[in-house]
Formats: sequence, structure tokens, C-alpha cells
Amino acid sequence: MSDAVFRDNLALAQPVAPPAARKKRDSSAPTAALLLAPSLLFLALFTYAPILQALTQAFTIEKFGGKFAGYGFGNFQRLFFDAAFQKAFANTFLYGIGTVAPSLVIAVILAAALQESTRFNNLLRTIFFFPTLLPLVAAAALGSFVLMPGAGLLDYYLAQLGAAQTNWLGDPDIALYSIIGLTIWKNAGYYMLFALAGLQGIPSDIHEAAKLDGAGPITRFFRITLPLLMPTLAVIVVIALINVVTQVDHVIVLTGGGPSDSTNVLLNYIFQAAHEQHDIGRGAAATIVSVALLLALSFVSLKTLERGMHYES
Amino acid sequence: MKFIKSLVAAAALSALSATAALAATKIDMFFPVPVDGALAKEMQNLIVRFNKENPDIEVTGVYTGSYDETDIKTRAAIKAGKPPAAVIMSANFITQYHIDDLIQPLDSFAEADGKTPDAFMNQFWPALHGNARVDGKIYGVPFHNSTPLLYYNVEAFKEAGLDPEKPPVTWTDWITVAKKLTKRDGDKVTRWGLMIPGVYDTLGWTMSALNMSNGGQYYNPDFGGEIYYDTPSMLGALTLVDDLIHKYKVMPEGATQMPTINNSFFGGQAAMIIASTGSLSFIRQSMKTPYKVAFIPRNLRNAVPIGGASLIIPKGNSPERDQAAWKLIKWLTSPEIAGGWSRFTGYFAPNKAAYDLPEMKSFLAEHPDAKVALDQLAYARSWFATYNTTAVRKALEDEVQAVMSGKKKPAAALKAAQANADQLLRPYVEATALNLPE
Repeated sequence: MSDAVFRDNLALAQPVAPPAARKKRDSSAPTAALLLAPSLLFLALFTYAPILQALTQAFTIEKFGGKFAGYGFGNFQRLFFDAAFQKAFANTFLYGIGTVAPSLVIAVILAAALQESTRFNNLLRTIFFFPTLLPLVAAAALGSFVLMPGAGLLDYYLAQLGAAQTNWLGDPDIALYSIIGLTIWKNAGYYMLFALAGLQGIPSDIHEAAKLDGAGPITRFFRITLPLLMPTLAVIVVIALINVVTQVDHVIVLTGGGPSDSTNVLLNYIFQAAHEQHDIGRGAAATIVSVALLLALSFVSLKTLERGMHYES
Repeated sequence: MKFIKSLVAAAALSALSATAALAATKIDMFFPVPVDGALAKEMQNLIVRFNKENPDIEVTGVYTGSYDETDIKTRAAIKAGKPPAAVIMSANFITQYHIDDLIQPLDSFAEADGKTPDAFMNQFWPALHGNARVDGKIYGVPFHNSTPLLYYNVEAFKEAGLDPEKPPVTWTDWITVAKKLTKRDGDKVTRWGLMIPGVYDTLGWTMSALNMSNGGQYYNPDFGGEIYYDTPSMLGALTLVDDLIHKYKVMPEGATQMPTINNSFFGGQAAMIIASTGSLSFIRQSMKTPYKVAFIPRNLRNAVPIGGASLIIPKGNSPERDQAAWKLIKWLTSPEIAGGWSRFTGYFAPNKAAYDLPEMKSFLAEHPDAKVALDQLAYARSWFATYNTTAVRKALEDEVQAVMSGKKKPAAALKAAQANADQLLRPYVEATALNLPE
């Protein structure tokens, strides 16, 4: 098996296309450039230009009334000393850990359990995948009814079990966890799809060989399935991390960041700084910080997971 | 055949409207819909009617979401050099627009019509003048307005042995009544005596009502850089909230969400709620059992803040567009249109003359709840408006939520709210009141 892995790594290290094909591609470069131009134009207009603008704004110091006062790190300094930013940062961190790790575990368990393509499993897969089809805003609107204290679905059934009323979104100690729960429900099915695809890519002969050697299902899962699933998991982690920083609809719909800032996450903080406090500089600085953080996290998680990866064709 | 006929008709119609449009001044109006979707449709109906009655003007109505979103979109449009001709703007944002120098004073428009600014403003209820006139000039024309109101369940009152004709008038009554209305089943509460909104925006407004009923007025109406959160009147108001939750246990702990309040009231799990007069139509349609409305109970005096929206004209449009916008504004705030909008939404009509119209008189006779809302208007005052209003309001709301959740005591919470708000106001204060001659 290790030989096979080694060969594959060698294959990956070799140039993908033979020289002849490369030459041919070169001659079609102008056509390619022409065909790519429209999307490049839109990327420049709606992606690169705003990135540049955010960068400039983050380093532009303005006096009262939006008057230009020079460049510098003043916005970042104000940002880091802002208690609300520290709170939003801590909330985002907790929200990240609270959503990414459980969704990943649930996705892998669901995928492993529903790997066999039977009619019943297909039905279950559809059920678990269903939340992905809902827009986040709609999921949040549903959530606001499910999480309603007393009359809501969750409290109603918990009351049948004898539990007391809980103010799921109105208690600062619980609100963030309610939102984490909703996010896991919303995203786990989507990640399951990746894990399923990853599982299909693991050749069955490895499992059969292990079975012949007397390995039980649990040993096979931890010694074969999980290591071979690592590249897929790396992708899921990166997608999940991006979701942590970019998804905010449910927070806005359910709590607006409250009560007492307990569910305020970075993206909502940026919105508040820029549009409620009309402080564009601090909003831009917070944007830069969260994007930098996201890039660093994605890079680190890809690198760490890659180290333990086994490529399999 | 029918198809061809309609095709011809459509062609003729579009040709007609094309010639009309050629001559007409095109303007756009941004409008928010704070309550529900039916209002957006009704607003489009009004615009169609205006365009028909005024062939020289072609208005395009642009639905811009909530009050806050309308603020963001208006600012973005102004920054992009394409200001809308008119905007229906949350009445307490006007101060900030004036500070940022983004809107026009409207006095000269009124004068051109042969009216003094005072005469122009006097068509509107006195309570609305404070938010419409900033620094002595008219910047907003009141379009629809509201006040907080106490809604209560008639059957719950009867069940608790209370007279539904006698709602609580003072805070003492309020606590007594709320205690009687709260129904417990062991540890569990099956019906709360009272629920008040605990979410951003509505919470600040509700706290303002309690503060005013306790003799307070927590902002400086003449200078947007001062806010008074750490005061005895506010401490009393917040202590009342704390007591209702933690001492008398007649109100649920934590920040209560809007859907929870509405559903609990409709379902009989909340006997009294505080909600906007702007919710009257919504509650009238959704509530299956009888309800009544009353003034917000007082400790020292009857007083509530207004809410709602005014029409503004941003700077940077051509004089023709400004004139067309002014014509639209006058039309929308006329007694007939304002009255119709009021009956449709539940907001009260800012134009006093609307209530002299026969259709309005019969409507009020039919709906005594709308009459109570109107009566409370005599005790209404300006809505708090400062520099960075939303953020300054949130500084208070975060702390009130902490009290509601049992995390803080009122005195400490107000101290923190004051400190945070002062910090938010600092840039404006430094550029104005603390900007001294050298």
C-alpha cells in the first residue's frame, strides 16, 4: 500500500501536461485571454477594486465629518482597544470552534452510516441534506419560531419531558449556543455530501484486505477510512471556516448581535461600525483583520492536514 | 381575438405613457416598510395614483427595506452622487442627516407656497414638531407616526377578576394588575402578566417611554451631543423593569424577541404587552380573542415618545426634481392621503385635518382602539435623536438587556451605558461644544 502511495506522490510531482500539449496551449493564449476578459473585468470591478478600497480605507485616518487627516494605523489601534470588538472576536472564536468541529464529526458519522446506496439511505441523505437547500435567512426565520420560549417547538417538547422554560435567544449565556446549534443543523448535511464523495473514492479492496487480516469495523474506520478521508476533511474545514466568517444572516434575523452583544460576531460588528456608527475606517480595519485571520486559518489548516494526508487515486 | 385586442391596448397604453414620460420630471422616492409587506403594495398603489393625477411628474417608488436599511441605502446613493429626490426616513435620523449636512431645509419651499414655516408646521400635531424641526429649520415633513401603547387581553382581565374597562393607570396599578394576571402552574408560568420587547431598536423606544412616564427626557433636544442615561428618572424606570422580572416575577427573564411577544399575546400567554400604535392593524387582524388598548401607565406623568417617519429631501438634486419632490411630499401628507394611509396601517395621521374627514370620523367610531392611540398623542413628545443615534441607543439597550437577564443591577448598568454613550458622542462633542476659540 505504501508503495502505491509513493508512486502516486511521484506522479503528482511530475508535470501534468507533456511539452507538446503545452506548446499548443500557448498558441491559443490570445483567444483564452479574450474569453477570460469579461470575467476578469467583473472580478476587477466587483472584487479586486473593493479589496483595494477596503485596504485604503483601513489605513485612512479621518477627522470628524469625514475630513481626510492622513494615513496610519490609527483605525487598527482604536479597533483593538474597542471592548465591543474584543467581544465580537471572542464570540467569533467560540462560534467557530462550536460550529466547525461538531459539524465535521456529524458529517463524517452521517456519511459513514449512509455510505451504502440503498433506497432507505438515499431518503435519509435527502433528509439530512435538506437544510442546505434553505436560504440561511429562511432557516433563521424558522429558527425564531422553533426557539420561542414557552410556545416554540423546542420548548414545547422539552416541557413534555419536564424541563423548565428557556429563553433560547434572550439569555446572554445561551443565545450564542442556540445560534451555533442552528448553524450545525444547517451546515452538517452539506459537509456530509463532501464526506460521502470522499468515501466513494476509497477503494473497497483496501477494506477487504483489512477484513481478511481480521480488522473490525472500528479499527478499519480509524486506520483506513479516516486517514484516506483527510484531503476531503481539509476541504470541509476550509469551507466551514469561511462560513464562520462570512455567514451572518441568522445572527441579524435572530438577535441582531444581542442581548448585550452576546451573539455579536465579526461580520455584524463590521456592519455596526460602518453603518450604525458611520465609522468607515474602523469597519474597514475590522474587515482587514478578519480576512487576514481567515486566510491564516485556512492556510494553517490545509498545511497541518496535508502533513497527515495519504493520497489515493 | 381577445389576445390581439389586449395587445393593441397594451401598445396604445405604452405609447401614451411614453409621451407622458417624455414631458414629465422623473423622480425617485425611497421608502421603507417597517411593519409588513402589504404596506409596500399600498405605497406602490399611492404612487400610481399620484402619477396619474400629476402627469408632469413621474415618481418611481423604491422599496428600501427597514428604517435602518433605508438609512444605509440613502447614504450610499448620496455618496454615489445619485441622491433620491425624496425619502421616507425614520424621524429620529433627521438630526444626524442635518449634522452630516446631507438634507435641505424646507422652509423656503413652504414660503414659496405662501405659508410661513410656522403655519406649515401647524397642520401637524405639536408632538411631531421636535423631530421635524432641527436648529429652527424644517427638515422633515411628518408622514406616519406612532407611540408605544399598552395592549391587554380582555378575557385574561375577566378571568383574574379585573374590570377590562379599567386598565392600569399608574405604575402601582400596573404591578398589582400584572401580579393578578400572572398564572402559575407549579414552577412554570402559563401566562405572564406583562411582556415588553427586549430587542435592539424597540427596547430603546420602550425604555424611553418608561423614562418619560417617570418625568425624564433623556436627550438634549437642542444639541445632539448630550444624552442623560445616568439620572434618577432613568434609574426609576430601569428599576421598575428589574422589579417586574426579578422581584414580582410577572415578566419573563431575558430579552424577549418580537415574535415571542406577538405570539404570546395572540395565544394568551401574555396578558399585557407594550407595542407600537403602528401594530394596531396587524394585531386587530391576528388577535382572535377580544383585546383593548390603553395609555402607557405613569409614575409621575403621562408621556411617551413618538416614532414613525418623515419625508426628507436630500441635497444634490436639480431644482426641478426638488420641486417635484416637494409636490409629492405635500400630496402624501395631505389630509386625505395621510388619513387613508393611517386607516390602512394603524399609524396615526400627522396631519390634524385628516381627523376632520367624515371617513376618519366613522373609522374612529368603529375602532375605539385607534381613538385611544390618538388621545395619547396629546401626551407625546419628541423621539430621542442625537449624533450616531442608533449606536448611542444600543449603548443603553445592551445594559438594559443585562439587567433583564439578571447580570447587572440598574445603577451599575446605567453608569456603563452613560460611559459608552459618551464615548460614542465624543467626536461630535469635540468638534462642536468643546471646540473653543484659541
